[in-house]
Amino acid sequence: MKERLKRQSFLGPQSDQILNDCVVAIVGLGGGGSHIAQQSAHLGVSDFLLFDPDRVEDTNLNRLIGATAEDVIAGTLKTSIASRLIKGINPEAAVDCIHGIWQEHHGLLRRCDIVFGCLDSYRDRYELEVAARRYLLPYLDIGMDVHEGDDGFCVSGQVILSMPGHLCMRCLGFLREELLAKEAENYGAAGGRPQVVWANGALASAAVAVFTQLFTPWHKAHAATVYLEYDGNTQCLASSNRLAYMRDKQCPHFVEFRDLGDPFWIPEGF
Amino acid sequence: MMVAFKIPEGLLGRVCEDLNRPHPFAAERVGFLSCRVGALKPSGWVVLAHDFHPVADSDYLRDHSVGAMMGPAAIRKALQVALSSEVGMFHVHIHGHRGKPWFSGVDLHETAKFVPDFWHVRPHLVHGAIVLSLDSAAGLCWHPQSPKPVVFSRFSVVGAPMRAWRGENEREA
Repeated sequence: MKERLKRQSFLGPQSDQILNDCVVAIVGLGGGGSHIAQQSAHLGVSDFLLFDPDRVEDTNLNRLIGATAEDVIAGTLKTSIASRLIKGINPEAAVDCIHGIWQEHHGLLRRCDIVFGCLDSYRDRYELEVAARRYLLPYLDIGMDVHEGDDGFCVSGQVILSMPGHLCMRCLGFLREELLAKEAENYGAAGGRPQVVWANGALASAAVAVFTQLFTPWHKAHAATVYLEYDGNTQCLASSNRLAYMRDKQCPHFVEFRDLGDPFWIPEGF
Repeated sequence: MMVAFKIPEGLLGRVCEDLNRPHPFAAERVGFLSCRVGALKPSGWVVLAHDFHPVADSDYLRDHSVGAMMGPAAIRKALQVALSSEVGMFHVHIHGHRGKPWFSGVDLHETAKFVPDFWHVRPHLVHGAIVLSLDSAAGLCWHPQSPKPVVFSRFSVVGAPMRAWRGENEREA
């Protein structure tokens, strides 16, 4: 085991090799994704695929891990900031940066072992989950939101593990037709969504813990579906009641691996 | 050339449960996994296990020189699945030991004989063979334009926990 990973040897005798071999995709390198990139690199992940079309702006500096004021002036790509962060921790890491929307490069996801989705819109989440299911990839979604209530603002969020063959985000009630429709109606008029570094960090840390639990043998309580709800006002993360209700149900949305692989697969040379 | 193979843990459980059943006269059981495929850049494929098709008891031949010998009906039924479902077919059997399994000489010889039959019905697809052990797996993948099979670079079981075994690319098929 590498010297720098010895303090986490409890993760299992082969954990450093497992994490080193794992190909991790992070879609969205903003407030949540930058935390995940940093923590995964600390953990020993050495092969990354990063997707984000944006450059860092002044409004990102309240939360984007690794970004500096100089990056704002230079207009540095968010993927480049994450890559710099990862390579600063592990210079040997392979980091493939895709400066664009993931949908235009979705074929690259096929070589991954897990996809972290750190996206703003429900539509993007839905599409990414569909793509992950098509290639038998576990999908780990994080996100946060802020709503104004009678007593002030309520910070909330979620961590969801959507595993092929198990409950999906529609089963869990997180993705609903009315939300997708409402979002489509407001397309282009949503403006900047409220984000804050500590909520992003809490959600990202929980997601990295779920990932570690899934891939390394540090304890035996493995869960194929995870739905953690975050109350940012009390700083509590708790398993969703919806998951408890749905736990023994079958997913009716992705039926028996019917839509796997490339829809039209012709090998090169044919 | 990279070949990554992925199978959901529930499907692998079904395969193991079936293959571990005793057969009336054969020493072991065999079956087929139907698979779909995705292209990997710059070169390679991800093979995605889709369903399991056990060989029926009556489709084994009495041949005590090998653990299990499929009759022509078994191959014919597997060819029918490949044709009607547009899938690649991977022969699967289990060696009852722990650690990294590999194909016997008979396995390699017999597999190399029947795999080209699948290109008659699905010429564009990859087909192959998988050998499981009690705690690991390995596989070979035949591409229609390559005479030699490619060893799986990685065999992943998708579930909780996630499990993966690396292939031994230096091994000669």
